[in-house]
Formats: sequence, structure tokens, C-alpha cells
Amino acid sequence: MPPGGETPPFGPSGENKAMTAPIPLWEFVDVSKAYPGVLANDRVCIKLLAGSIHGLLGENGCGKSTLIKTLSGVQQPDSGQILFNGQPVVISDPQAARQLGIATVFQEFSIVPTLSVGENIFLGNMPRSRFGVIDWKKVHADSAAVLAELEVDIPTEAITGSLSVGEQQLVEIAKAVAMDARMIILDEPTAALGEDEIERLHGLLRKMRDRGVAILYVSHRLDEVERIVDEVTILRNGRVVRASGETKINVSEIVSAMVGEDIAEHYPKERNATQEVVFEARGLATNAGVTDVSFTLHRGEVLGLGGVLGSGRTEIARALFGTDDLTAGEVRLNGRKVKFRAETDAIRAGLALVPENRKFDGLFFNFRASGNITAASLGGLARFGVLDLKAEEKGTRDLIRDLEISSQAEEKTVNFLSGGNQQKIVIARWLFSDAQVLILDEPTQGIDIGAKIAVYKLINKLTRAGKSIILISSDHDELLAMSDRIAIVQHGAIKRTVNAAELSHDDLVRASADPIDHNHRHPEEALA
Amino acid sequence: MRRVFDTQLIGPFAAMVIVALIVALTTDRFLNPGNLSNLSLQVSIVALIAIGSTIVIFAAGIDLSSGSMVALLTMILAQMLKFMDLPLALAIPLILIIGASLGLLLGLITAYGRIPSFITTLAALIAFRGLALTFNNGSPIFSLDPALEPIFYGKLIGIPLPFFYLVFFYGLAAFTMNFTKLGREIYAVGGNPAAAVLTGINVRKVQATTFVIAGFMTAVGAVLMAARLNSGSPNYGQTLELQAIAAAVVGGASLAGGRGNILATLMGAMTIVIVQNGLNLNAAPSSVQNIVLGVIILLAVGIDMWRAEISALMARIFRRTPKAQTASEKKAA
Repeated sequence: MPPGGETPPFGPSGENKAMTAPIPLWEFVDVSKAYPGVLANDRVCIKLLAGSIHGLLGENGCGKSTLIKTLSGVQQPDSGQILFNGQPVVISDPQAARQLGIATVFQEFSIVPTLSVGENIFLGNMPRSRFGVIDWKKVHADSAAVLAELEVDIPTEAITGSLSVGEQQLVEIAKAVAMDARMIILDEPTAALGEDEIERLHGLLRKMRDRGVAILYVSHRLDEVERIVDEVTILRNGRVVRASGETKINVSEIVSAMVGEDIAEHYPKERNATQEVVFEARGLATNAGVTDVSFTLHRGEVLGLGGVLGSGRTEIARALFGTDDLTAGEVRLNGRKVKFRAETDAIRAGLALVPENRKFDGLFFNFRASGNITAASLGGLARFGVLDLKAEEKGTRDLIRDLEISSQAEEKTVNFLSGGNQQKIVIARWLFSDAQVLILDEPTQGIDIGAKIAVYKLINKLTRAGKSIILISSDHDELLAMSDRIAIVQHGAIKRTVNAAELSHDDLVRASADPIDHNHRHPEEALA
Repeated sequence: MRRVFDTQLIGPFAAMVIVALIVALTTDRFLNPGNLSNLSLQVSIVALIAIGSTIVIFAAGIDLSSGSMVALLTMILAQMLKFMDLPLALAIPLILIIGASLGLLLGLITAYGRIPSFITTLAALIAFRGLALTFNNGSPIFSLDPALEPIFYGKLIGIPLPFFYLVFFYGLAAFTMNFTKLGREIYAVGGNPAAAVLTGINVRKVQATTFVIAGFMTAVGAVLMAARLNSGSPNYGQTLELQAIAAAVVGGASLAGGRGNILATLMGAMTIVIVQNGLNLNAAPSSVQNIVLGVIILLAVGIDMWRAEISALMARIFRRTPKAQTASEKKAA
């Protein structure tokens, strides 16, 4: 719903007579917000201009989420002013934010998966007929008009949960357009998207920007930030360390501003591969879409699986792990043929899977770091069923220090930790166990650059300990840099396997970006 | 999880003490030694059954069957003692085995049949009561065995025997939950079953095991119930399952699973029984008792859910400003 008519018009033209610079649509002046023990936003100033895509960057815990929550009315600042078209306003609650034309697309979508696209677009604001009954014709006609305007080709009757994650994201944005939003906040919008879906999203954002909408864009994927944003603000420890205009939109400059130091080696790759074959797959196929998968994995090696979203990499992981039954082929571990009827068989044999979605499939939020790290090794810690808690405390404390996991992890349950710390804990679980072969599915998704480097070092540590890794990643640079060899996956089959050193970024993109069929998949189906 | 006596016990303990103080203020008969001794008898049956209910809840399940199972097991015990002339020393172990087996059955249906435990045990709640009525034409069986009553009313060094049962079984349960692989796996399954699968925990086996424990503890409660009245009846144990769940909840166990302390359940059970005792001593009708029990359950869960708001309110009242943080804390956040 647009706000009242007395507010000044918006637009990049700058109609104010006194100033040459346009009045920002939204401006934060010295906004501070403290949580018990943490000053999450410390006198933050930021100007969000109509018709501009503004990148908001920083490591996990730098205060980005706090800023977003303040702007979307979820919480109130402790001090400072929020200006709307130059006038101080109070955004008392999310409802008020919506009335002021602010739409927020959070990381966890706010769409209802069981409802149709049209219903989602007008959720909470359904057009009604004279008798107070929902006007379904209008719902579908109007939502179709919005989608057409955005050049998004999704039927309005489709059940939203059956769409791909990327399409769901587009529905979220259509929802913002339908409510006439003039300020759209996107929190990690591309975390779950493939390359072509990211392109589509970016195209849409540019279109919105050209219509005079202000966009606040939060992302950890710096390469795409470089492509899309017009200006950038960087936060560190709750403070603005670079305001827009102070930093060129250039990855290495952004990284050093975020981390506060120059990062010499982005990818600290160690080569620990030996000639000894540990694991071998021959002609694997499953009913979940794996058609022909053969590869060998050596001791200490990192084998990357390259391919686009939906190419079948996660399905291959499920096949290897015994989640899906094999319809053909065989798996050999240390030269012996093995058959996994369920995940427990695979784990007992020495395999481990670090799932893509650590929140849903990886962590025990009711445990501290120690309980999370030892969860896969309880048998080894127990004598006659009784756990050796002293050994557990000692072993995990050393690991927590060694991996530079926050010391809070020793006392608090893991829900209090940042995403990076959480991810380190999930991987550390397998460092603690006897696992020989680890499958890491998107191990650095949604974590900041410092934590990413820590995960890379952890991968080195694992391979140095003689463990072998199958790495799945949508970040091509990461995959190229951290793998010894790369298997190109298309349509659930491994087309070929090449040395990572012989492959360039472009080669990988071209090799994997074979046109895929757009069968609609549920987002990240949980293993289990 | 690391310490048996952790901060999770403070709240339920405080609640128990406060309730006891209030009751003691309303009637001087509360602190009478006879009443206190009676109290430990009263709490014993529900508190023992609540061990099983709580462990099922830790694994994110729920057990509604225990009240009916008590009725069924007292009838089977009565049948054995009165009509089959089995010796007590044989009948009681058999009852414990039957209880554990019924629990295993419910556990298998729930875990491997993939039927939610709410439904499995709701069905059992109804069916077990029906099954209890098939014995002795649905009539209670009295005067079972003269040796049965001392199991409940007997004393050792002047202390009622049920006190020792409580110490033994809560000690065992606390040891299991805090120091064994099984206990850790139960918390893991309740905390995140999907993650438990991916760490190699046999989730179904763990779930089924919690129901075996629950069935066994229900059988212990059934033996005490039969001993208390030297009889078996298809009407015993009505709403006992709800009191046991209430004890777990008042003790702070999360119905979502994974969180809670087994010893807090004992305090929860004590709190409930003290309230009932206080109302009894003040001659309150049973209708009022039920209303008060309902309010206590809401308050217990509410205080847990509103913890953030309550501490914020406290902070405002005492004008406590957030501490300035160190750099390392900030980084960690």
C-alpha cells in the first residue's frame, strides 16, 4: 500500500532546490542498537537512494542483520534517526514498514509453499469483491499482470512449493512489486540459486532499479556483488568501515575492508593426494536421476563435482551414501565391494556426508560444540555404553582451539554461534571421527570470507590426515582452487574427470552449463 | 548436558519450593510428618511413570498410553496372583517384562511403522483400557496377596520404601541420560532427527528404546498401584498419563524434544502433588484441583517461552544497561 500523498515524490532526479545531491529515500543517521553484551550497530550512517542498488557487506556478526531488522521494523534502534525522504520517521513494526513501502525478502522465504503463486503474491492483501469474498479472478489477473511486467513466466495457479528455489525467489520479488514497494531489501538472495537463476534475478533487480526503486542487497558472494551493485557500504564489528563511494567495487578491496586486513591467499590449497585408491564408484545409477557415475578417489585427494544446480550432484551424494538405492553399479571401499542399505551402513564403513543445509540436517542445536563434534563418534567414546566425558571435553576443547572456533562454543549451545563457527563444528565432527571419505555439499554457502578460509584450511587438515574428500560447490573459483581433480556432472552422469590445474574458470562454466531441463524440484529435499 | 545438576534444575526447584511455602502458609497440617510421608507415597507412582514419559519426550515423542497400561497391568497382575496362583516373586518380574514388551510394541509401530507417537499411544490409551476390561468381566479383583501391600507401605529405617524406589530409578535415569551413549543419542534424536541419521545414529532404534523404557517404568508404577490397594482394577490410572506429562513439562522438558533434565521431572511431579495436597488439606473440591493443575501447566510453559521478555522487563526495572563488549565477544557474535 503506498503511503499518504503528502510525502514528497521519489526518484533519482533530486527535486530538492537547496542541494545538488538527491535526498536519499531512506537514511540512517548514527543509528545504534545493542543486544545484551554486544553493540550490534554502532552509530551507523547509510544513505539509500531511489534507483540504486546498494550492496551491504561484512562478515557474519558485523551487524548487517541488525540493520536490516531495524529498517524493516522488526526492532527499534536504541538511538539515532531514521529519515524517510529527509523527514525523521519511526518504523514501529513490520506493518508500518510495509506501509512505508519497504519490502524485505529474508533468507528464509516468507512465502507459503502450499498456496498458489497468485495467493502468495497478494497474501495479506487479497482483492475482495463487494461481499467481502476473495475475488479470485482479480487475484489471478493482477498477479499475472505483475509477473508479466517482470517478464517472469510462472503460472499464477502453480503451487509455490513445487517451483524451483529460484522461481520462489522471483515470486517473493513479485510480491514486493505487487505491494508497490519502493525499497526492497534482499538478504542473501542467491544463496540457493544456480547461475542462470542468478542472472534472471539480477535482470529483474536492474529493471526495478530503473523504475526508481531503492534496493539494499546483502550477499556473501562478492563476485556477483561486483556485477550488480551501484554502491557499497561495508560494516565491521557494528561500524561502517567504508561508506558508499569510498571503496571501488572491486573484490580484493572489499575483502580487505571487510576483514580488516589484506588477505594474501584466498585459497590456501595444499596438495595431499596420493596414488592409493580409497574409494571407487562404477556405473552407479538410481531412480533419483543418477544415470552413469564412475570415478576413483585417492587417499588425501579432493575430488570436486562441477555442475550447475540441478545437474544431479546432490543426488550422486545420496547414491554414494546409501540414502537412495542403487539400481546399477557398485561401490568399492579400500578395494572391497560394499553395499549400503542405509546411511548408518555408510557411516559405519567410514563415509561421512556434510549436508548442504547445516541448519536442518547437520547441527544439534540442543548441544554445545562438544556434543556436536562427538555425535558421530559416540561408540569410540563409550565403554560398555558409558561415555568418557573427560576425554570428550579434552578432545573437543583442543579441536575448538585448533580450528579457532569461538570460545563461547565450549559453554553455550551452538544456536548462539555464527554460521561460520557452526559450519566448522559440523565439519570438525568428521575430523574427530574415523571417517575416511567425506562428502562436503556446499561447505561454504552463506558463511563469510574469513570463515570460508577457515573451512579451506580445515579441508587441508583433513586431507593431510589421509582423509579423502568429495567436494560439491556452486562457487566455481572455490571448486577449481580447492580440488585436485574435477568431475564434470551433467544430467546425473559424470561426463569426464580432469585435473583442476588444467581447467580455467571459463572451461568449467562452459563444461557444466549444458542446457538442463527445467523439471521442477523441491528445494533441498532433506535426506532422511 | 554435561552436568547432572545444571541450571535447568533451578527453575523447577524454585517453583517446587515456592509452592511448598505457599501451601505451608495456608495450613499447618502440611509440614506434619505424617503428611510429608504420605506425600512421598502419593508422588511415587506418577513420578516413576514420568521417568518414562520424559525420556520419550526427550526423543521428541509423546506417550499417552501409560494410564491405561497401568490399569491393564494391574488386571494382569491380579489375574496371575488370584486365579493362577503365581508367586509374587515370579508375577512381578513378568509384569515388568510385559510392560516393557507393550512399550516395545508401541515403539516399533511408531518408529518403524512411521505412525506419529501421539496417534500410536492415543490408540493404545483407548485399546489398553478396553483390554483391561476383558479380565474378570470388567470387575476389579481384590485381596490379591498379603505380601503385595508391604511393597508400597513398607519402611526401611523408618523411611517409606517408595522413597528408595524414587532414588534408585531417578539415579539410574539421570546416569543414563547424562553419562551413557544411549542418553546422548536420545537427546540427539530429539534435537534433530535428520542430523542424527547423518551422524550414524540408528534413530528408529533409539525411538523404540524410549518406549521400552516408558513401558517398563509404567509397569513399575502399576505394581505399586496394585500394592497400594492390594487389588487390580480396569479403572486405575485415569489421567495418570497426563499427570506424568505435566510433571515433565513443569520440569522444563521441551515437547519439541532434545531439551530438559530428567531430575527436573521429579521436581515437576513434586510440585503438582504438593499443590494437590495443599488443596486437599484446604478441602478444595476436585474440580478446583483440576483447574489449578491446568493453570500450573500453562504457567510452567509460559515462563519458559516468555523468558526473554521477562528478563527484558527485569532489566528495565533495574535499569541495567548492556555491558560494553570486548572485541573478542563482538567477533564471536
